[in-house]
Amino acid sequence: MKGEPRSLDVVQRWFQAVVTHPGGVHAGAASAEAQELVRLSRGELEAVVRRSQNLTAAERLSIYANAYYARLLECLGACYPILKQALGAEVFDSFAFEYLQRYPSRSYTLDRLGEKFPRFLDETRPERETAGAVDWPDFLIDLATLEWTIAKIFDGPGVEGQPLLAPEALQAERFAGLRLVPVVCLRLLTFRYPVNAYYTAARHAAEGEEIPLPEPAAEHVAILRRDFVVRRYPLSLPQHALLQEVQAGATVGEAIAAAAAASDLDDDALAVELSTWFRLWSAEGFFQGVG
Amino acid sequence: MNPPRLGHANLGLGVGLRSVHFDYILKNQPQVDWFEVISENFIDSQGRPRYVLQQIAERYPVVMHGVSLSIGSTDPLDLDYLRKLKRLAREVGARWISDHLCWTGILGRNTHDLLPVPFTEETLRHVVERVRVVQDVLERPFVLENPSSYITFEDSTMDEWEFITRLAEDADCGLLLDVNNVYVSSFNHDMDPDAFIRSLPHERIVQFHLAGHTDYTTHLIDTHDHHVIDPVWELYRTAHQLTGGVSTLLEWDADIPPFPVVHDEVLKARHFMDDHLPEPEPAPREDEPALLAAAGANVFHPLHHIRPEVE
Repeated sequence: MKGEPRSLDVVQRWFQAVVTHPGGVHAGAASAEAQELVRLSRGELEAVVRRSQNLTAAERLSIYANAYYARLLECLGACYPILKQALGAEVFDSFAFEYLQRYPSRSYTLDRLGEKFPRFLDETRPERETAGAVDWPDFLIDLATLEWTIAKIFDGPGVEGQPLLAPEALQAERFAGLRLVPVVCLRLLTFRYPVNAYYTAARHAAEGEEIPLPEPAAEHVAILRRDFVVRRYPLSLPQHALLQEVQAGATVGEAIAAAAAASDLDDDALAVELSTWFRLWSAEGFFQGVG
Repeated sequence: MNPPRLGHANLGLGVGLRSVHFDYILKNQPQVDWFEVISENFIDSQGRPRYVLQQIAERYPVVMHGVSLSIGSTDPLDLDYLRKLKRLAREVGARWISDHLCWTGILGRNTHDLLPVPFTEETLRHVVERVRVVQDVLERPFVLENPSSYITFEDSTMDEWEFITRLAEDADCGLLLDVNNVYVSSFNHDMDPDAFIRSLPHERIVQFHLAGHTDYTTHLIDTHDHHVIDPVWELYRTAHQLTGGVSTLLEWDADIPPFPVVHDEVLKARHFMDDHLPEPEPAPREDEPALLAAAGANVFHPLHHIRPEVE
């Protein structure tokens, strides 16, 4: 005759320890965590899980164990499609497998599953060969950061249906004293590798075509969403400096000073450039209004 | 005595809303009776998914179906998640909210799977209490679905259908009978699917699910990547007779074909209804790729990653 059923809490903690163990069901059941909850010898799984006519308890538990990693690896691959393409599926999955153990999902939504992946790549990166030098892992971290940023902007707050700053508003007097309000979805990023250009090339590549890995080079990008589509804008260093100041709440005049400091152009040439930049950015919906 | 469907409307034959069909639905506004949406894909969305849902909710009845409530877990209920469900339900006018009789994780973790519970008196008391809390918070009809499962527990002291019946009556909630899940679980646990369906409290069944699955000979997996097989349609015929007909929805989550194929699949349900409604006219089709979303492995995906649109 059976004894008292185990408590629900014990059963659930044991089950989770067994089916999420990276070594599989038998390793999971033998783990200290599982053994502390339900002490079993190998071959005694049927004391907890019944066998069916066709499958043993271990085989039945393995359906959940296999699905756990298969599902989450596939979801991570969908979050980082270009990174997965760059690494190859096998290498990507080995990173992702480690990641899931270090940062298992704690959210009701899979949309956050990949949130800490760029951080994980940074935490687990190999030692730099030369202190301070940029190397291959930085490419992976930057590419993951770009892909995560795109995903967040795609489904995050936006300005669809709201009025934006019209280009003609920038002709006003006292322009230099204005404080422009960027759209809520604008993000400015700086990378150590040209991952935005790589991302574009990879998206346009034919199936099976290999995209050469780029050499290190600083790259600045503005990303925002308009009409529910994420848009990417490569920026020069002065453009990035200017927009960064605007985003920090500086006046247009202060932002232009930051751009000038980062630019090699003389004042007249920069003035021509500035006019073009502001016209383009306002037409592309960078600014919500003036503060 | 409860009225059929606990008094809720029979919405007809609906389709599970999937992101690969967004553009088709907005452009063609197909003659679908209703849509079921995966709650977690929309409760936090501030982008296109939420916008699309808003457009669809203006034209069609909508029901919300969740995968992360974890009603069976001994972890505390996530009240923040419940409040988000409630807000979305209000905004889209959801007719009811459903989730599964399962748990998804413990100790703060989420496996994103629909894990089975042991059918014991303790589990029953625990889930009944939590369903009552959920209903109090949501203030909207709440419906629980029988999941597909691949194990049973040695500690279980009752059959699944007895557990479901007592749960629904003690907690006073509705049931979402997934006919395919009955078939899959019954095969996996050497049970009689017909007896399963006949043993349920039929007036509490508010909705049916239909889907395809994958046959691995020794076991079945609920992959939602095929047409509904004939034995499942026969179970549906029985369920329809026993309930008098309830809102019926087709789920297709991997290897998803073009929308008209999915819609045609649920319209087949008319053949298995008592009143033998005439076969619907096939919907006009546009040239579309044979499959819109490929599955990597035969793994059930209760949540869907919506691919960002980016230039």
